[in-house]
Amino acid sequence: MDNFFAKISELFSTPEYIDSLLHGFLLTLQISYFALLIGIFLGTIIALIDTAKPSRWMIVPKLICRVYVGIIRGTPMALQLFIMFFVIFAIKGFPSIIIAIIAFGLNSAAYAAEVIRGGILSVDTGQTEAGLALGLSRFTIFTKIVAPQAIKNIIPALGNEIITVIKETAIVSMVGMYDLNMAAKDIGSGQNMASYIVPMFVAALFYLATIYLISFIVKRIEKSLRRSDLRVEK
Amino acid sequence: MENKNTDLVIKNLHKSFGKNNVLNGINFELKEGERVVVLGPSGSGKSTFLRCINWMEEPTSGEMIFDGELVTEKNIRRIRRNIGMVFQHFNLISNMTVMENLTLAPVKLKLMKRAAAEKRAMELLRHIGLPSKAQAYPASLSGGQKQRVAIIRAMMLSPEVLLFDEPTSALDPESIEDVLSLIRELADRGMTIMIVTHEMSFAKEIATRIVFLDKGKIIEEGTPEEFFTHPKTERVKEFLKKIL
Repeated sequence: MDNFFAKISELFSTPEYIDSLLHGFLLTLQISYFALLIGIFLGTIIALIDTAKPSRWMIVPKLICRVYVGIIRGTPMALQLFIMFFVIFAIKGFPSIIIAIIAFGLNSAAYAAEVIRGGILSVDTGQTEAGLALGLSRFTIFTKIVAPQAIKNIIPALGNEIITVIKETAIVSMVGMYDLNMAAKDIGSGQNMASYIVPMFVAALFYLATIYLISFIVKRIEKSLRRSDLRVEK
Repeated sequence: MENKNTDLVIKNLHKSFGKNNVLNGINFELKEGERVVVLGPSGSGKSTFLRCINWMEEPTSGEMIFDGELVTEKNIRRIRRNIGMVFQHFNLISNMTVMENLTLAPVKLKLMKRAAAEKRAMELLRHIGLPSKAQAYPASLSGGQKQRVAIIRAMMLSPEVLLFDEPTSALDPESIEDVLSLIRELADRGMTIMIVTHEMSFAKEIATRIVFLDKGKIIEEGTPEEFFTHPKTERVKEFLKKIL
């Protein structure tokens, strides 16, 4: 145990190690952040197509969305990442961070789409009918009535998706990228540290702290959105 | 606007949900100032009939003419402003305050300026005794309060016709009377009204005409007097025996 704490203080007092960890952590955050931007944006579009009023023009887009979500959810993330790296973007010199962002973004889009779709469908149809009966347009009904109510149901589940993506990016170490997970392994295998447990423990703390912070923020947003459910006045 | 004599003409209206034919050829006319109560056994298509009038359910076939204008998918949104609807479950918009519920449509549809809409809303709220609830969210209102707000929300657009789809079915007995007296008041002011209700005594009292639906068809109609005391068809006699 003494050795463990000694190693921890060694890790934190060696600028080289700190540098590696922070570099890895930064890459993890970058991939997660941009992947989630893509994922939530694309996911919203997919969900909107999926929940749109059925019509002749929507048959093909709806089918494409359904198939896309099915394939992404039905295959392992690691396999999708490999296909991106070794098949689709097997171009020499193409920045791997971009490939990773695209791979995670496209993956996250399918899950985000399901979350957003569920949130939209959970809004009572009576709310839409109220708007229709008042002669409002479908656009106004969506933006003023359905979307604000759907968001309340979407935020908690989307928080889960954010957390999942951050953790799942750890598999980029499988294609040799230097993320937080890889940094821990790298430090641990070095001759000076010669211990996996310490850097991995520290990396775990980094992940935990990040995810704790995100959960905290999501809870706060959730609470402020629930105001109209409470029996309070504006 | 030119032809104010007949508000609504419905010819051979059919509505089916998949293979389920709910309305099987309804012919109906509604004139200004009439108060029509739609009765019928459950599953007879009463609510569907009412909901087809403002296209909450799009008719499968048939023709609807409102104020001399054929109702189509293109003009239904404009026509809906003239056909107010009050729902069984109130359908107040839950992310908006009472005031926002009342002013949303008139302001969005550019029929009123916000200040004018708010002034009108306050007048109506005062009228129903709920001015203190203007800034409250629907979740804090009782059922009866919600339904009365829903009624004045429909009135904000000054519609020509008001449709009531079982307006008191989800209410406790005490609230029912509050809502009925508000409807009664609208009736006294000459509002054209169509109601689907199970409140028979109210139907008798308020209706200028009763329409009886069975299996998606109008099988009998007449004044409340004729309908309740001299029913013509066996089906209505049987219905009245069960409920009275």
